[in-house]
Amino acid sequence: MERRQFLVGAAALASVGLGTEAAQAQTSDSRARVVIAGAGAAGLALASRLRRSMPNATITIIDAKKEHHFQPGFTLVGAGIWSPAQVTEQNVDYIPRGVEWVEAAVAEFDPDANGVVTTTGQRIDYDFLLVATGLNLNYEAIEGMDVSLIGRDGIASIYAGPEQANASATAIDRFIEAGGVGLFGRPAGEMKCAGAPLKITFITDDKARSRGRRGAVELVYNAHNPAVFSVAPVNDKVTEMFAGRDIAVNYSYVLKAIDPGAKQATYATESGDITLDYDFIHVVPPMRAPNAVLASPLPWQDGALAADGWIEADKATLRHPRYPNVFAVGDIAGVPRGKTAASVKWQVPVVVDNLVAETAGRSPQAVYNGYTSCPMVTGIGKAMLIEFDYDGNLIPSFPFIDPLKELWVSWLIEEKGLLGAYRAMLRGRA
Amino acid sequence: MSDFDLTTIYFILSESMGGWLWGFVALALLLLAAIVAGIMTLRKNDTPARRPLVAALVAGLVTTIIFTFLVPIWTLAGAGALAAPIDVLFAVLFALVPGGVVGSAVFVIMAFASNRRVAAIA
Repeated sequence: MERRQFLVGAAALASVGLGTEAAQAQTSDSRARVVIAGAGAAGLALASRLRRSMPNATITIIDAKKEHHFQPGFTLVGAGIWSPAQVTEQNVDYIPRGVEWVEAAVAEFDPDANGVVTTTGQRIDYDFLLVATGLNLNYEAIEGMDVSLIGRDGIASIYAGPEQANASATAIDRFIEAGGVGLFGRPAGEMKCAGAPLKITFITDDKARSRGRRGAVELVYNAHNPAVFSVAPVNDKVTEMFAGRDIAVNYSYVLKAIDPGAKQATYATESGDITLDYDFIHVVPPMRAPNAVLASPLPWQDGALAADGWIEADKATLRHPRYPNVFAVGDIAGVPRGKTAASVKWQVPVVVDNLVAETAGRSPQAVYNGYTSCPMVTGIGKAMLIEFDYDGNLIPSFPFIDPLKELWVSWLIEEKGLLGAYRAMLRGRA
Repeated sequence: MSDFDLTTIYFILSESMGGWLWGFVALALLLLAAIVAGIMTLRKNDTPARRPLVAALVAGLVTTIIFTFLVPIWTLAGAGALAAPIDVLFAVLFALVPGGVVGSAVFVIMAFASNRRVAAIA
């Protein structure tokens, strides 16, 4: 670390200690009816902030799910070092007082009439709708694949939930013990936490090395396009690291079918379908909007984000251009990048500040720059803290942490810091 | 880091540590009170603070060094995970917590022990 870098870091640390809140949050006395569809990370964070900023508003949150999962922790469960219980919480613990929780899913969005209908048949009208439904994992789009296969016959997938991530950890351990060929990759479309497929590849490599079994396993990463990561400097770094760790890469390979009995995976490639034998495969499913969103007028009507039903939204304000009283936040938002909990942390204040300003008669000013973060775990005990914006610029929050260097301090943030920050975000305090 | 203010840090620590946060605050206040009492005792007896201070610094330093290598294990990483100067710096900062506790405890114990020695002589 250069001396100058150290001093800048020290100054930044000092500023944390001395700093006070730059600006007090604005409030609005509006009695607007605000409906939040979804009680995931974005939905709960929105509810918490809005409850404090709009004390007279009627705020309703709609979600059938009772359990809440800390999804950024699924990688550590898949690594076999966290338990499923460490990433499982209850939504009721985070619903703010004064917010009504309708325990049903949204069955129908009717933005032309400013209302939603729940799966229990209840119609709820709104003045403002905040869509934070999250997304659907579409395992069925891979022929022969099913969630129930995870943990069996060498099939892993950390995305499906805590128990499946745990089963994936066992599958990785069995693979390392038995040896053979391990396949990794990602789907072609938009996905949440695009770093996770790379992380689980690095983790498998690291675990095999630490057990002296690296020579017994062959690791292959099947990238969906000509790069392993969409941000150029990160792509260069990961490509270099893969080469250094003897992890082979196939470019423009997209998983389309799997035969668990024969242990074969078929990929769509530029030169036609190619079938690869495997002893272990980590499956990342294609992702799309939930059915209720897909069936509504809310998604993009054309362009790259239309096919999977991502909601049309201005990328700076997350406001729907055709329905100005509708906002999309979190995974469901049809904006470039932005499908991580870290994105939610920056999206929520923008939407809330603008909503509060608008209902208070002021001009909305807040802008989201596309901030996304990926603590790229590259082994047990080391990570790269990668943060970037819409344009793919690296925008490190901590000037003393090199985003492209494997550091324990980045691992420290991942393993010890993120869960607390996430919970504080759910309560609208971070 | 513009969003990292004291309020945010408090809530992140509170959500990370739960009730342990207040346990640590109580321990810190207790140690502070004990240090003040120890200093007052030394002054009352007109005893030089050099011995308890040196002992506290040595004990605190040794504890900090030992814990610097244990901090990575606390994060489920291996003891050899500290790869860069910034890693070592942060490990030392964390290790200063047990180092400070041990150093403070040693200072207080020696300060009150000197009080007992003075009382025995008198």
